[in-house]
Amino acid sequence: MQDKYIHILSIALITAGLVVTAFLYWAEPRSLAEVATKGQVVTGTYSIDKAEVDRGIASFHSDRFEEARAAFIRADPERRDAGTQFYVAYSFYRQGWGRVYNDDSLFQFGLDAVNRVIELDPNYRSPDQTLSLRTPSDLKSELEEGLKITASDLNPMRLTRERK
Amino acid sequence: MKVLAEENIDAIEAVDEAEISTVVRNLPAKAQPAGHNSVLSYIILPTIFLLVTLLGGFRFGGADNSFIFLKPELVCLVFGAVLLVLFLRSGMIAIDGWFSHHYSGLHNTADGFVLLTLFTASVQLFNSVLPERGLAFWVVGFCFFWTLWNDLFAEFDAVKLLRSLIALFGMAFVVKYLVLANLTAPASDSWIQSVFQNPGKEAVTWLLDLPRYAKGTGYVQFFTVALYFLGLFLTPQTTRK
Repeated sequence: MQDKYIHILSIALITAGLVVTAFLYWAEPRSLAEVATKGQVVTGTYSIDKAEVDRGIASFHSDRFEEARAAFIRADPERRDAGTQFYVAYSFYRQGWGRVYNDDSLFQFGLDAVNRVIELDPNYRSPDQTLSLRTPSDLKSELEEGLKITASDLNPMRLTRERK
Repeated sequence: MKVLAEENIDAIEAVDEAEISTVVRNLPAKAQPAGHNSVLSYIILPTIFLLVTLLGGFRFGGADNSFIFLKPELVCLVFGAVLLVLFLRSGMIAIDGWFSHHYSGLHNTADGFVLLTLFTASVQLFNSVLPERGLAFWVVGFCFFWTLWNDLFAEFDAVKLLRSLIALFGMAFVVKYLVLANLTAPASDSWIQSVFQNPGKEAVTWLLDLPRYAKGTGYVQFFTVALYFLGLFLTPQTTRK
């Protein structure tokens, strides 16, 4: 082979190798499966798994929240879909909600998830008519209220409130 | 008169490019200019250095064997640059043999890219053998700095430099992947359980702030270090035919 072609091949090989290496160190995949998913994100071909989302929504409406979240994680492993992440946040809210007291750790996870939704799509509005809180800002304020300790927490009338 | 004539002859010899290429330095046999092979220098060599670049910061997590890609610290870039200067000073790489106005732009660019992979591989080799954080990072980092600083002012030839580097990186590898790795407590679900099972190791891990990696990490890094030195051995002094 002529030296000219070897030089061109070498430059192409090195450029490709350095790009792949830089991508891996930037994306920090934790498994071979994640390498493929993160590659899809970079190339713009990433999409969520609709079937898993539907399965997650069905579990969510049946109050099987952990099962629902597992389905949502399978559907959107890169956490880049506002709709799926909104359901994740809502599942933490519903699971953590209590008539007497709320589970602060679950509410905190919910707050993290709803913040992700706001980052992805600040104007997101859920098309699910069965939800009382349909925007991330409503859900966020509900979660933040739940995390605060105030004098109103001692109000016995709180026992009559309903989960949203 | 005779001395002057000899000096003139020396000067003429020095500017004669053909003669320069035949000057035999004290190099390993495969690194002699006469042994330059395009496929080896432009395809195999960068592939080796790219593999080192990829694997130098690669670790397996201690708890679940997950992949961890550690970006190099700034000090690794500094050490990598110093190492390149050492390669040039020792004559292992003749800069006028890699870049020349007699070469085509493409040839010079390709040579620059190959040397770039040598630099990235050197950076990642330091990333591989330097402890990640804590007291061990500072101690081993200081030892590297001390050795490289001394080497910068020492008289070297390529063989001595290669031997010195094998000893230096071999020692650092042993310290990190044999000594420190054996002092590190294994990853455990419960902190209390690990304190009762391995009190000594847990104390050392905590005191030295040692990361917990799976055993596979040491194997991968062993081959990374070996590949780097294979790459150095194959690196020609010049790419001139």
